[in-house]
Amino acid sequence: MKDQRLETRVDTQTIKISAQKAQVYYGTNHAIKDVDVEIMDKTVTAFIGPSGCGKSTFLRCLNRMNDTIPSCRVEGKILLEGEDIYDARVDPVQLRARIGMVFQKPNPFPKSIYDNVAYGPKIHGLTRNKAELDEIVESCLRKAALWNEVKDRLAAPGTGLSGGQQQRLCIARAIATSPEVLLMDEPCSALDPIATAQVEELIDELRSQFSVVIVTHSMQQAARVSQRTAFFHLGHLVEFGETGQIFTNPQDPRTESYISGRIG
Amino acid sequence: MLKDPHISRAFDRDLEAVQAMIMKMGGLVEAALSDAAKALDTQDEALAEQVRQSDKAIDELEEQVNAECARVIALRAPIATDLRTVLTVMKIASSLERCGDYAKNLAKRALVLGTMAPIPGAAGSIRRMARQVGLLLKDSLDAFVSRDAGLAAEVRLRDQEVDQMYNALFREFLTHMMEDTRNITACMHLHFIAKNIERVGDHATGIAEQVIYLTTGAMPDTDRPKAALASGDE
Repeated sequence: MKDQRLETRVDTQTIKISAQKAQVYYGTNHAIKDVDVEIMDKTVTAFIGPSGCGKSTFLRCLNRMNDTIPSCRVEGKILLEGEDIYDARVDPVQLRARIGMVFQKPNPFPKSIYDNVAYGPKIHGLTRNKAELDEIVESCLRKAALWNEVKDRLAAPGTGLSGGQQQRLCIARAIATSPEVLLMDEPCSALDPIATAQVEELIDELRSQFSVVIVTHSMQQAARVSQRTAFFHLGHLVEFGETGQIFTNPQDPRTESYISGRIG
Repeated sequence: MLKDPHISRAFDRDLEAVQAMIMKMGGLVEAALSDAAKALDTQDEALAEQVRQSDKAIDELEEQVNAECARVIALRAPIATDLRTVLTVMKIASSLERCGDYAKNLAKRALVLGTMAPIPGAAGSIRRMARQVGLLLKDSLDAFVSRDAGLAAEVRLRDQEVDQMYNALFREFLTHMMEDTRNITACMHLHFIAKNIERVGDHATGIAEQVIYLTTGAMPDTDRPKAALASGDE
């Protein structure tokens, strides 16, 4: 009977990102402690946990966004397809083209809608001519479910769009460089339920092409969009497993207390 | 009844309310079963009639439980143990409603049997069996309240005693019917009563299994021992 269960399928067993004994310090503050995690390819992984538990910090380690914080120090290994992303030979800019990111608040460049999406492919030299660039812009805006709303005003400033549209523009921008992994830090917290549903639908479509890691404060969102869920608490990875299992039968009492809204 | 409280106290109140309804249902069903068996044993028509009437209250409670559970699911989106609590409550309510129907049926047959020549010893045996099954039901509900998987596992094992009582009654009624064909109508009624009480035992077992699911997150996987049924069914 096991094969008839409605478990959301994890399509591959390929490990995309693997963290081994990852530690993060902000000065003397030990923010991430001994985190071992394996992010699968073509899978949505949700990071949940109370504020300050380290989930965003850990997410930002995955594409070296923490490099910009002087007091921040990362130890342990974080491997992208077996290669250490903190190796001295790795160019963080190239790395971030492979591991894209979408932030909590939509932050479009003060440029046209078209240029917001075209920026990444341009600086990374991913296209040979204007026609190819047009094609990428259109396909990314389509994937982000924004094309129909903006196709007649691509030259208008991205900042003039509504909040939900801006967030979808940022997603289009993030996928324009054809990343292998997309990191999303609370991508729907500033969106209304309709825009949230559109972004969630988009996340599900995107996972046919690459893996998505999403930090969310909404338990229901984690349950809806992810196949794997990781629960962080006080810098530790407490529990990591199949999303259906985490939400019906969590193994750690701390996970249970948190997701069911109890005082832990 | 619950472990740590929720940050939202209204959520705790909702969950406690549906569980209180289950306990009320359980009390009504236990009383109906024991009263119906007593009515049969003591030829008490008024008591039998009262059991038939009381089934309405059990049915109404089941509807209330279902409506409340639907509300909790819609408004509170319960997960983990909370989700299992709501699912378990709904299943237990449906089991108890069935048990109430069996008690009502027993009362109905008690009224019919009152008009016939009694089968010696039968009503007493039925009453003993009903008492045994009533205890199983009570223990399964106690296990639910105290989240006691150990007691639930014990209830599962004890159901085979009920099966054995049913088997003994089955043979006894068969013998009476073979001895004297005029006993057939009464014995058929008595057999249905015994079978229905045996079914109540199965529902108690089902409730115990729900308690195991509620506390551990998984249904018990080992088959419980079963006495081979003389009637050959199941």
